[in-house]
Amino acid sequence: MLERHVARQLTAYCHQELTAAEFSRVQQHLEVCEPCRREYDNIRATVDLASQLGLQEAPDSLWGDVVRGLDHAPVTSPGAPVGAARPVWARWALTGAALLLISALGAGWYHWRLSRPSWEVARLEGKPKVGWSAIGETGRIAVGDWLETDSSSRALISVGDIGEVEVDPDTRVRMVQARDTEHRLRLARGTLHVTISAPPRYFVVDTPSAVATDLGCMYTIEVNRDGIGHLNVQYGWVAFELNGRESFVPADATCETRPFVGPGTPHYEDAPAELVASLRRFDFENGGGPELAIVLSNARKADAFTLWHLLARTAGEARSRVYDHLADLVPAPEGVTREGILRLDRDMLDLWWNALGLDDASWWRIWKGPFPQSPQ
Amino acid sequence: MTMHKVDTGVIESCRQGDREALRVIFEAYKDKVYSLALCYLNGDVAAAKDLTQEVFIKLITRLEQFRGDAEFTTWLYRVVANACLDERRKGRRWFSLEDSVEVGHMVVRKSLETLQLQKEMADGVKSAVAQLKPKLRIAILLKYFDDLSYQEIASVLGCSVGTVASRLNRGHRMLARKLAHLRNSMNAGD
Repeated sequence: MLERHVARQLTAYCHQELTAAEFSRVQQHLEVCEPCRREYDNIRATVDLASQLGLQEAPDSLWGDVVRGLDHAPVTSPGAPVGAARPVWARWALTGAALLLISALGAGWYHWRLSRPSWEVARLEGKPKVGWSAIGETGRIAVGDWLETDSSSRALISVGDIGEVEVDPDTRVRMVQARDTEHRLRLARGTLHVTISAPPRYFVVDTPSAVATDLGCMYTIEVNRDGIGHLNVQYGWVAFELNGRESFVPADATCETRPFVGPGTPHYEDAPAELVASLRRFDFENGGGPELAIVLSNARKADAFTLWHLLARTAGEARSRVYDHLADLVPAPEGVTREGILRLDRDMLDLWWNALGLDDASWWRIWKGPFPQSPQ
Repeated sequence: MTMHKVDTGVIESCRQGDREALRVIFEAYKDKVYSLALCYLNGDVAAAKDLTQEVFIKLITRLEQFRGDAEFTTWLYRVVANACLDERRKGRRWFSLEDSVEVGHMVVRKSLETLQLQKEMADGVKSAVAQLKPKLRIAILLKYFDDLSYQEIASVLGCSVGTVASRLNRGHRMLARKLAHLRNSMNAGD
């Protein structure tokens, strides 16, 4: 069973914005939970640092600028006129027809819904909807249902016994599957904050431009109205894939994804700005050699995992350059040859990955293999 | 810190077009508006001046929209927040990746004097805040520049208290990672 960690309440706890009951719960939890206590120390220190943001004196010339601007300010216009109203008889006719249709469908739909797997949904703010209906304090989302939040609502989905998903405002997400070994959502737009404690592959989020497979973690995934996605991992790992183009994103790293292209090359959130900008152009704007050169010249030792991903996204002379820079940052270990890497030998790539100081490749290779068959 | 109260007489005089009344409001809030804009725009002085000017012009030209059903400061900060968030839609350079500074690098490079260190800390925090996404950034700045409560921030931004809490928490977690170097330097006494 997933513990009720308090990471989401820590900033409000520092700002004393929790209710008395919530404050007490967080306080008691911190006494017994080491990971949350470490996170609290980080948040507390950040609050202390942010409190040093000081006022800056506005320039003396500013009033003169305001006066000059007022002298040229346009007159605000009145509100737009209201549109023409529909005839009364037409409104009643439409309402009656809609009610009949809803009644006829409702009975059959209700019976069908009861038979489908479902998860609990808690209302956090406002009026999140499952299907057409706003949920109360709690509701349920079943396979095939859409959960939608408007600009003032939020919700929390309990994903079976393996975790939870916090749904931000302006989000539309569908429950696709709920089996013992596969829990699947489809994010059409908006933002999800995911916390999962389960073996790899047990939780998946489909987006318009890539599939995010949980490998045991905490992450945020966001999709805008153009289908462009962003994945930020706070803890653990996430695999991001579309049509064979895959990225493995560790904690404190991020990955962008675009429709028809798939996931870009992942990088740490604190990677050098020049590297990030050129990587984006290389991934999505046919940046080519010049952009790759900037990425390579700005890569730190920590960015070796980014270069490792670039091996499979380059070819020929470009791949050789990536190999050379990666070898400078992290020497190729025993058993890895230049020739093997240049032809993308899987075993050698995994050996070099293991030398980067991140998790062992064999652990997340599990997600690529078939699930073990149940004994007969 | 409590929210400032603006005299209703001053507001009414402003509505009548009294420039001196606007001057009173301007003098009361100019530093906070300018500081918030400057931090939001990552130290771009020219852009911060433009945004501050825009805020006070909007203040007087749209004052008839202030119906007195909320604190004047809430309404003022709403104008400020919308102006900041509009910066991105206008296509102005609100944050340049080429201008970003590695926060930890600043501390290592300069002097070890305490006051200098404090300045570097503040600069580092401002730089890190400027790298946040706009919605997270504006929530952080409203909290720390005028110590607004979550409810007050929610009123300014037109969202729920829960959304404010969520944005502040995510913003702080991102800042915590970006400011790790500063915390290490502070603890080491550098």
